[in-house]
Amino acid sequence: MTFLDMLLQQSINGLMLGIMYSLVAVGFTLYFGVLDVINFAHGDFFMLGSFMALVLYSIAEAAGWAGNTFLVVIYLFIGSMILTGVVGVATERLCVKPVSKAPMLISLLVTLGLGIAIREAVRILYPRGSDPKGFPTLLPQGAFNLGSIVIRYENLIIFGLGIVVIIVVNFLINRTKMGSAIRAVAQDGEAAMMMGVDLDRTIDITFLIGSAVAAVAGIMNGFYYGKTMFNIGAMMGVIGFSAAVIGGLGNIYGAIVGGILFGLLETFAAAVLPYGAENKRVFAFLIVILFLVFRPTGILGEKVYERV
Amino acid sequence: MTETLLTLDDVTTVYDHIEMLRHVNVQVEKGKVVCLLGPNGAGKSTLIKAILGLVKIVNGTITFNGEDITGEKTHKIIRKGIAIVPEGKRIFPKMTTVENLRMGAFIEQDEQVIEERMEKVFQLFPRLKERAHQIAGTMSGGEQSMLSIGRGLMSSPQLMIFDEPSLGLAPILVEQNFETIQKINEEGTTIFLVEQNASLTLEIASYGYVLQKGKVVAEGTAEQLMQSEVIQSAYLES
Repeated sequence: MTFLDMLLQQSINGLMLGIMYSLVAVGFTLYFGVLDVINFAHGDFFMLGSFMALVLYSIAEAAGWAGNTFLVVIYLFIGSMILTGVVGVATERLCVKPVSKAPMLISLLVTLGLGIAIREAVRILYPRGSDPKGFPTLLPQGAFNLGSIVIRYENLIIFGLGIVVIIVVNFLINRTKMGSAIRAVAQDGEAAMMMGVDLDRTIDITFLIGSAVAAVAGIMNGFYYGKTMFNIGAMMGVIGFSAAVIGGLGNIYGAIVGGILFGLLETFAAAVLPYGAENKRVFAFLIVILFLVFRPTGILGEKVYERV
Repeated sequence: MTETLLTLDDVTTVYDHIEMLRHVNVQVEKGKVVCLLGPNGAGKSTLIKAILGLVKIVNGTITFNGEDITGEKTHKIIRKGIAIVPEGKRIFPKMTTVENLRMGAFIEQDEQVIEERMEKVFQLFPRLKERAHQIAGTMSGGEQSMLSIGRGLMSSPQLMIFDEPSLGLAPILVEQNFETIQKINEEGTTIFLVEQNASLTLEIASYGYVLQKGKVVAEGTAEQLMQSEVIQSAYLES
């Protein structure tokens, strides 16, 4: 395997991870847009999505209709998206929105606390919740060669699914009336209300989308690693937030670019740098810090429109 | 007898435990241009927010078209036929002209109606048509002001509220704005014009109120207000 092949191979792995990160980052960016809140519990919705899928799978198994793999996968994704989305909206109403007008520190503490509450709830309520939980192997295994690069079917499906979700979210935000309400609220909430936008409903829908998309990423992660655990959300929250910041917080394309960049940085660090595998995140976060110092508005950061 | 479109009856509002408006009575007659004058900090913006349900009303009622809208949610009040051209324009800076106009017609479902109204706005402001796909935040102050008015027209409202349309604009643009407001009124839309610039406002208004420290201190026809001591001393001495 030549160095170039290795780079290509790593790019593909990085893209796959990156898409997953992008899906989490999109939520951060959306919430920041409509509520000016950085929701540090968001990573735990990623985790919650994977556990919802596990619960749904055991229900399907118990009912004896886990036979058709294709249908079961669809059922897991859609079911978990709905359940996680509903929990997302409920927690938004209960504790995120009420503090959105308070100083940033308050919403930060509240969402951090919410994340811990969700994490511990899963640990306590799920049978033997402290242990890693195996994920069912439902996606086709095996791989094919493209030149000297190996591509696993499973990864290809996960990647393709990630792209589809991003396209759908992009369509919802940029091409629908509901999406224009979300964008208007993000730019000027009060002006949006003056146009007849129902602010509360728009915030609900934003959290529904954000949590559901995080759930998709959580299930993808479960399939990819073959397991999930109650505490994976904490790290994913930091990664998703970092990705959103690299891309430019508040910009949905930025979140996608940031997520993919973070995924690539991580895999390249693991492959190229000495002791890279253990320290891949150290390297990736180092880049995030550099961004915060030299370009705090991110790659696609918002220009500030100022006019006298 | 003329018909009253909007009535504020004995309205008192509270913001952060401070009474901003105290027992305010205002009536806007259908088809007229009614103005609200007053210095900075008199509570003019609060009065608009009260109409739109954006501040808490602790006393009194607001009626629109005979319907009590006190304490109603903002988006529901807008749906009854009120549009606002807010202070500072408040266009959506990252949307294009067309997207901004479409936001103005947010409560309208019929695509054809939206297209027709947009055509009308473009006739009124040919400049906006040239800028149709430009990002609104990059346009000039005058263009943004046109866009803000155009956006207000997109819902085809019965009542259009203008909050300080002269603020921060060059004198020539201010006059153009006032001409536009007059034109909109002539086409049948009732106007509630909130302004600091008394002389220009009284030229196009038929009736007016003067607000000071949250209270209505004078009211009357434009001619009466022109002669009144409050206006003479506070606004027209220069």
